[in-house]
Amino acid sequence: MRGLMAGQASRIDDTLLVREAQRGNRAAFEELVRSYDQAVLRLALHLTGSEHEAQDVYQEAFLKAYKSIGNFRFECSFYTWIYRIVTNLCLDHLRKRQVRKEDAPVATDAAGEQYDVLDQVADGRSGANPERDLMRRELGKRISHALEKLTPRERMVFELKHYHGLKLRTVGEVLHTTEETAKNTLFRATQKLRGALADMR
Amino acid sequence: MKCEWVKQNVLLYVYNELPDDARYELEQHLARCADCTAELKTTRKFHAMLSELPVEEPSPNLVAASRMRLQEGLETAEQGRFWHRLIFDPAAWLRQIRFAPALAAAIFIVGFAGGIATTYKVVSGTGVSIASGPVSAAAESSITGIQSISQDPGSNHISIKYNTVSTQEAQGSLNDQRIQQLLLFAARNNYNSGVRMDSVDLLTQEPNNTHVREALMYALRYDSNPGVRLKALDSLGAFVKSDPRVRDVVLEALIQDSNPGVRTDALRLLDPVRADSSVRSVLQELARSDQNQYIRSQARIMLAQLPEFD
Repeated sequence: MRGLMAGQASRIDDTLLVREAQRGNRAAFEELVRSYDQAVLRLALHLTGSEHEAQDVYQEAFLKAYKSIGNFRFECSFYTWIYRIVTNLCLDHLRKRQVRKEDAPVATDAAGEQYDVLDQVADGRSGANPERDLMRRELGKRISHALEKLTPRERMVFELKHYHGLKLRTVGEVLHTTEETAKNTLFRATQKLRGALADMR
Repeated sequence: MKCEWVKQNVLLYVYNELPDDARYELEQHLARCADCTAELKTTRKFHAMLSELPVEEPSPNLVAASRMRLQEGLETAEQGRFWHRLIFDPAAWLRQIRFAPALAAAIFIVGFAGGIATTYKVVSGTGVSIASGPVSAAAESSITGIQSISQDPGSNHISIKYNTVSTQEAQGSLNDQRIQQLLLFAARNNYNSGVRMDSVDLLTQEPNNTHVREALMYALRYDSNPGVRLKALDSLGAFVKSDPRVRDVVLEALIQDSNPGVRTDALRLLDPVRADSSVRSVLQELARSDQNQYIRSQARIMLAQLPEFD
């Protein structure tokens, strides 16, 4: 599986696939989708905390890419391009949610049901030590609340850097800004998180 | 003063984002300064704590469901795009014709027949003879598109670049690179499923070649003919253990393939890796709710043979 760390060889492969897709070859486009879609889901899932929303982001992002791939001019890598689309959509989702959540501390999904962001997270690792599990769950909850207090942009920079290990230079490229700005945003986000989680240390 | 600089950069140090010289400088300072070492420790701890909110891999089910939904979406978008192009963007449409020789030929034949009919009418109606061009019907129907037309300034010399379709033949052994390329192309692109079957069949003799394996995975995923998919699946079977990408594709076939024969075969091939976590979760899902009774019971049997872990 090719994830965020797509190597040089696969980039070259991408160029051919992109050219084919631009000529209207859907199979080539679907192959591109398969190279990146797990990473896209991973990002959207972690950012939104909901499979439902992650799936929406996934769908919107790749449909958009499909419709506008003809305008792709190879000025950046396809990888950067697809991440631009995805992060933009995720930013929209985060903004919408911030408005929605002004006074509601618990997130709700599209059906209006309350859900716990960490329900899915704890599943995989439950087992040996329930006490430690519970603590980890609590901690995870605190962290995701602190993350939600960040501005969408701070959240995005922090997410891409901390949780998905992108280089700051790439983060800047993806978010249409400079490495320097990305760096400053990362500092700001970290400061805020430290403040919010000060008592956890 | 130095400490101030270190405090600012220790975060970048933890994230591995400092250039080499700054990194060296910082490490030199840390060796001497207890305060800054403490700061580094705090930052590292904080860094580790945040990672307690893990980044989970999306479940195979979520991936499969998302892909399926996208495929439907693409289907709709493609239809829209086709009509849009046809109406608003004839240039792009013509570009596509280059890749559809059969369609191009058909259009030229229709055009040519239309031309003959018109000529016939004109000739019989008025008696005026019309000079026919030097391009013969056969040559014309092999032209698939004009790329550019230019005239040298000041002369009447005109150059036209155009593409043609012609049938060529290649011969050689399976080791021949050209033959391999053509086979790979045929496995992905041919309209005739018999040709795809033949090429996949030949390619299965070379499954260690990565391009070949790629093409076989592609055939298993996308080929519309179950016979071709089955053939590709069988030759990939040997690699489910060693190549996780092959395993993913076979898993996908097991979940999604429309043909029960292909699914049954995929299930059989996955038996050696049934303890793998992704395989296990798919098996559990199948055992619980698959529509196909054989697959349901087979998945249960495979799960029952698994050793208990936790």
